[in-house]
Parts: sequence; structure tokens; C-alpha cells
Amino acid sequence: MNEVTAFWILAAIAVIGALVAVKKRNLVHGVFALLVFFAGLAGLFLLLLAEFIAVVQILVYAGAVGILILFAIMLTDRVTGKDSFRITSRGSFWGAIVAVSVFLIVLFPTIQEIPQVENPTASAEIVEKSSVKSLGQKLIQPYVVTLEILALLLTAALIGAVTAAQGGKTEEKEVLE
Amino acid sequence: MTLVLHHYLILASVLFCIGLLGAFSRRNAIVVLFSVEIMLNAANLNFIAFWRFGDNPELLHGPLFTLFTIAVAAAEVAVGLALVIAVYRHFRSVDLESLNTLKEE
Repeated sequence: MNEVTAFWILAAIAVIGALVAVKKRNLVHGVFALLVFFAGLAGLFLLLLAEFIAVVQILVYAGAVGILILFAIMLTDRVTGKDSFRITSRGSFWGAIVAVSVFLIVLFPTIQEIPQVENPTASAEIVEKSSVKSLGQKLIQPYVVTLEILALLLTAALIGAVTAAQGGKTEEKEVLE
Repeated sequence: MTLVLHHYLILASVLFCIGLLGAFSRRNAIVVLFSVEIMLNAANLNFIAFWRFGDNPELLHGPLFTLFTIAVAAAEVAVGLALVIAVYRHFRSVDLESLNTLKEE
């Protein structure tokens, strides 16, 4: 029974956080709402007994991605937030219609086609089987190639991001010279 | 009433559509970028929910897939924001409707 209450509270936090993040005119406030959304989702992961994923969610999203977005806003917008008022949405009506129709298209197969799970695995068993140790062993044994590719991707993304972000700077230097 | 798989699936589809709404209706490139993040997170919730309520939880498919998705999403957001900054430097704006040319003027 407690679990159900926790689910509704966390779901409300996540949905309201996401809605505010998407709808707020002031971008900085929007990012803080986004952080609330990430935290709510981490709570839901905890409720689903995926503790490690919940921690990673907080570390990567609430930590790194949130700060990164905040930096990008401060680099591109006037920090007072006044500039973001200029960029208002015009297509929000059609956006809402498309979003609601996609929601309905996704919803009906969900309710009708996916069968109800009769006896989900007991919580204790899941906790026992999903320890961080076994997760690490899985990462090293069957998924080691994926892990290496991921490392390569992250390196490439890092180099690409730095190159893309500093691209204009070198041009300006050349002009100055 | 106990929690079933459908609770999580419906919540994930609600979150996905909120992200979709943001990506469609906002004109600021950064807001579009974090709307995409919201959609990716909704997909992650689905992975974890299917793992929790599905068969063979000891295979850890859900957490592993989510871990990989999170890493790819982090790479995506880093490159995306770098591109936003590069575009801002060129156009002096992150308004998507003012970015209507591909060549340098």
C-alpha cells in the first residue's frame, strides 16, 4: 500500500517537473524544474528496485547534464532571462494536438495488447539478483564489446563537443591576425 | 490495489508526450534539447519497468540497457549543447525559426 502512495507522489513530481520544464518561459527556472523531474524519475527507479540506475540517474542527469544545460543557457542567453521572453512559442496549439494524439496512439496498445503480469518476481529476489556486483560482471563478461564501443563513443563525443564549441574562436583569432 | 506494469507504462507515455510537446512547440534550441532528454528518460523508465515485471530479471537486461542509454544520452547532450553554442556564435540567436539557412552569408 505504501508503495502505491510513493508511486503516485513520485509520478506527480515527475509529470509536474516535466510540464514546468517544457512550458516555463524563463529558461533557468525551466532547468530547475528539469532537475526536479530527474530526481522524481530517480525515485521511480528506486521504487522499481534498480538502485544503481537511480544513483547513476542522479549523478549523470541531475549532476552533469543539468549543469551543462545551465552553462549553455548562460553562454547563449542573457542571464537575466529577459531575452528568453523574446523566443515565444507559436505552434503550441498544434504541438499539443500532436502530442495528445501520439499519447492516445501509444496508450491503447499499451492497455489492450500488453498482458497483465500475473506473478511478478518477489522484491527480495530482484534485490538479490540485481546487485551492483552482478551488474559489473555482466558489463565485463557478455557486454564488454558494447562497453568498449561506449567508451570510444564518449571520447569521440567529448572531442567533437570541444571542437564544435571552440570552432568560432579560432576563426576570430585568424581574422584578428 | 498493487502496482502493476501498466502504471509505469502509462506514466512513461505521459512523460514521453510531454517531451514531444516541448520539442514541437518551443522555439528555443535548448528547450528542444531538454525535451529530447525527457523523452529518453521516459524510455528508460519503460526499460526498467519491463525488467522489473518481466521474466528472467537475473539477466539484468533492463538496467544494462538503461545504463547504455544514459551514457549515449550524455554524449548526445554534450554534442548538442556544443552545437547550440556554435550556432549561437554564428547567428547570435538560439531561436530555431531564425536558423533558416545552411550556408554562410
